[in-house]
Amino acid sequence: MTARDAMALDLQQAASTMAPAIIGTSVKRTDLTAKVTGDARYVADMSHVGLLHGKTLRSKIAHAKIKRIDTRRALALPGVKAVLTHENVPRVLHAGSPHPRSASVTCDQYILDDTVRFWGEGIAVVAATTEEIAEEALGLIDVEYEALPAVFTIEDAMRPDAPQLHDRAPGGNLVLPPVVVERGDVERGFAEADLVIEGEYEGGRPTPAYMEPNVCTCEWDGNGNLTVWISTQTAFMVRGIMAEVLGLPLHKVRVLVDHMGGGFGAKQDLFQTEFLCALLAKQTRRPVRIEYTREETFLGGRTRHPFKMWLKQGFKRDGTIVAREARIVFNSGAYGSHGPGVTIVGTNSLTSLYRCENVRLEGRCVYTNSPIAGAFRGYGCVQTYYGLDIQMDEAAEKLGIDPAELKLQNAVRTGDLAPSNHPVLGHGLEDCIRRGIAEVDWAALRARSRAGEGVVKRGWGMGCEMHGSSAYPGIKEQGNAIVKMNEDGSVVLMTGTAGLGTGAHTALAQIVAEELGVRFDDVSVMHGDTNVVPWDIGAFASHTTYMGGRAAQMAATEVKKQLLERAAGLLGASPADLEVRGGVISVRSPATAADRSAVEGAAHPARSISVRDAVSPRKGVPAAQFVGTATYYPTKSYSFAAHFVEVQVDTETGKIEVVQVVPVHEIGKVIHPVAAAGQIEGGIQQGIGHALYEDYQIDMTTGRSLNANFVDYKMPLSMDMPPIRTIILETAPDPGGPFGAKGVGEDPIVAIGPAIANAVYDAIGVRFRHYPIRPEQVLQALRQRN
Amino acid sequence: MSKRIVPLTLNGEARELVVEPHRSLLDALRFEGGLTGTKKGCDVGECGSCTVLLDGKPVCACLVLAAEVGGSEIVTIEGVQPSPDRLHPLQENFMKCGAAQCGFCTPGIIVAAKALLDENPMPTRDEIRFALAGNICRCTGYSKIIDAIELTARELHAETVGAA
Repeated sequence: MTARDAMALDLQQAASTMAPAIIGTSVKRTDLTAKVTGDARYVADMSHVGLLHGKTLRSKIAHAKIKRIDTRRALALPGVKAVLTHENVPRVLHAGSPHPRSASVTCDQYILDDTVRFWGEGIAVVAATTEEIAEEALGLIDVEYEALPAVFTIEDAMRPDAPQLHDRAPGGNLVLPPVVVERGDVERGFAEADLVIEGEYEGGRPTPAYMEPNVCTCEWDGNGNLTVWISTQTAFMVRGIMAEVLGLPLHKVRVLVDHMGGGFGAKQDLFQTEFLCALLAKQTRRPVRIEYTREETFLGGRTRHPFKMWLKQGFKRDGTIVAREARIVFNSGAYGSHGPGVTIVGTNSLTSLYRCENVRLEGRCVYTNSPIAGAFRGYGCVQTYYGLDIQMDEAAEKLGIDPAELKLQNAVRTGDLAPSNHPVLGHGLEDCIRRGIAEVDWAALRARSRAGEGVVKRGWGMGCEMHGSSAYPGIKEQGNAIVKMNEDGSVVLMTGTAGLGTGAHTALAQIVAEELGVRFDDVSVMHGDTNVVPWDIGAFASHTTYMGGRAAQMAATEVKKQLLERAAGLLGASPADLEVRGGVISVRSPATAADRSAVEGAAHPARSISVRDAVSPRKGVPAAQFVGTATYYPTKSYSFAAHFVEVQVDTETGKIEVVQVVPVHEIGKVIHPVAAAGQIEGGIQQGIGHALYEDYQIDMTTGRSLNANFVDYKMPLSMDMPPIRTIILETAPDPGGPFGAKGVGEDPIVAIGPAIANAVYDAIGVRFRHYPIRPEQVLQALRQRN
Repeated sequence: MSKRIVPLTLNGEARELVVEPHRSLLDALRFEGGLTGTKKGCDVGECGSCTVLLDGKPVCACLVLAAEVGGSEIVTIEGVQPSPDRLHPLQENFMKCGAAQCGFCTPGIIVAAKALLDENPMPTRDEIRFALAGNICRCTGYSKIIDAIELTARELHAETVGAA
């Protein structure tokens, strides 16, 4: 085959894949073949020569001083290689939530401390040759406690005489000073109101329950370099905090993340074990792995913040909201983790969703001797929008307005100030509500609701939400990307974003392929090595595609520029006249008929060339190596959703079942439709869990964990999941996102909760203002009413 | 503690695993067998991530003692593929339908789905949901998993009808 034939073949192949755009099509995900074959290696699947196993001793008391801890018997056990306690680890105060130097930092923890602040806190670790020996050694560590009084509820923690968990400002067991948000004139608003409605709302303690238990392996190379294999959403944050606490420069800590089995926000924290794993590895001069048991993912993991909220709103007779006032208290558990961020985001979220010019909000976050609450999908909004949306339903009934109409009437829209103080773009929320109303024939459903003579009652409800893409302005984020084009025209994107399993790297590859005009299969993604890829804040806040994707697009633009310059020389054209699509660079068709006939009449030189040929070496010209780098500083965009839900309630057993869900989401330009829908459906699953079952519980006198397993901590499984008819709208693309894309990961867990509570009210006429709504509570409420 | 030699057929191959008497089949497969596709999500039979076929029946490998399975036939996710260059239709359709996200539960679910289709080639959606009652997936909401299994059943059925 001559070079010319090869080129022709290449062009032909390229042309056949040219037609459809890459963006907006559900291309084959880059990570899935390995996942369906079992070849994907998660951290616990990797082999290391000489590996030791680390196990953590956890406290059996909620609040205490450790008077004495004796490890001699443990150390004497054959196979035990090292034991660490607070007495022999560095004492460095640090933040467990890895946003160094941002608003979300609470420096309140040590690697190991002489004070225990919740039942299940790690107090010692053992490294041994087998997991069984390590486990046995834990039982040989003698601990003597001096018990301290403990507080488990936010009310108890906020009493003036409450025992203090931490000796730090602002005091009073507050994680941060109260977050106060004021706009307009609330007094005037309430004075103008025709209807004032207030209520208290409350939420339990759901946990993310990712399938892959937390795991971390550490190894030192003998030259002072530490390698960390870890399941984390925030590799660079892990590097930053580990380096800071262990006293190492950043280049001595290499954090590697490949596949991870879910995180849902919680795997942004450091869980004590990372430092301990590194210290055990250092002391034993062997690789050490610490892998949580399922029970430990509850004990030492992170939960959503339990909360209580008092909310009061004033309405005009026509449904206009004239005032909103709220006091919210989040329960942070024993450490601050994401308490500040959740409090700030959750409190501010009440300025929006349903427009209101006069607001006064106060959010608090308090320490209690309970499991640590952290980041979890929906970050503060799950709690506050649950109450807000239910109260809208309550108001609608009192005003005699249909709840969907009332929400539509007040839906936030273009120009309104978003919680981030940016003007909202577009009318995504209105679009979602309108489409949902039409899709389910809402009016007809409401007209025939609560009918039926039987014991099983059916009802419909709807709930709304909005969620920001990126954590700006709370964190001044940046997305970074490097795009390299190889000498055969194939492309490597280097990104610091982590892949939780959402398909984010596929989306980024699509964005690069689309921007560069090459085939999707020509792009691969390098990620998860802090020594190689550019810095990234981590995968959270629905910003991976939005921010990382935009950076990738910008880097691809740089490469495209270099590519077209080289091709222009080869085609004898100006770079400005070239376009590249499907791996082919062509001279753009002339705009006018006169130009076209001029070109056709000419002894036409080559009008196109494959990307591969454009970069490959020629006589006297070496192959090209194009590199584009980009940094993107995102602002903020909002995605919107309205969920329409049908439930049935068995009035004899109290059981609530979700019969069907119609989620309508507006997320800007959709990059990968199947993956986007997958995010929505998975979020709904977790949201149904929140509303109906999931609550990690502790004994309220001892703080002991009560249901740290998948039997007693009930989640929605295949038999519980209703049909979901997902509708995605692209009506308000964001100019800041790649091709107009916005985030989708956070959204779906928020709206489903109030939609279910509102549907339950529609079905049986009982208003629940908390989650989870348990069968016994349904029965009790029905009995009280009758 | 003396180790035991457990002869078995593992993904079609005659093997011997050398294990302590208390070792679970899950740990034996992962560490002795070198087959890490089978995942440990809970180690107490609650999540189904370690589902393998034991003589054709889906079991949680964490609840089975390796020493007990001598002479048995075990199929893990690594053995679901008919050949190194061909995927099982379930695997193809899990990708196509978006039935896997983080992928941690996926091997166990594909193995459970294979067990279902081996026994009931044309299951209803409810039968599929029932067959997966012991497999926890936290990412997908299950509907795309059910879609993938249903699609596979239909494709395999069409092939069978076509062949007949």
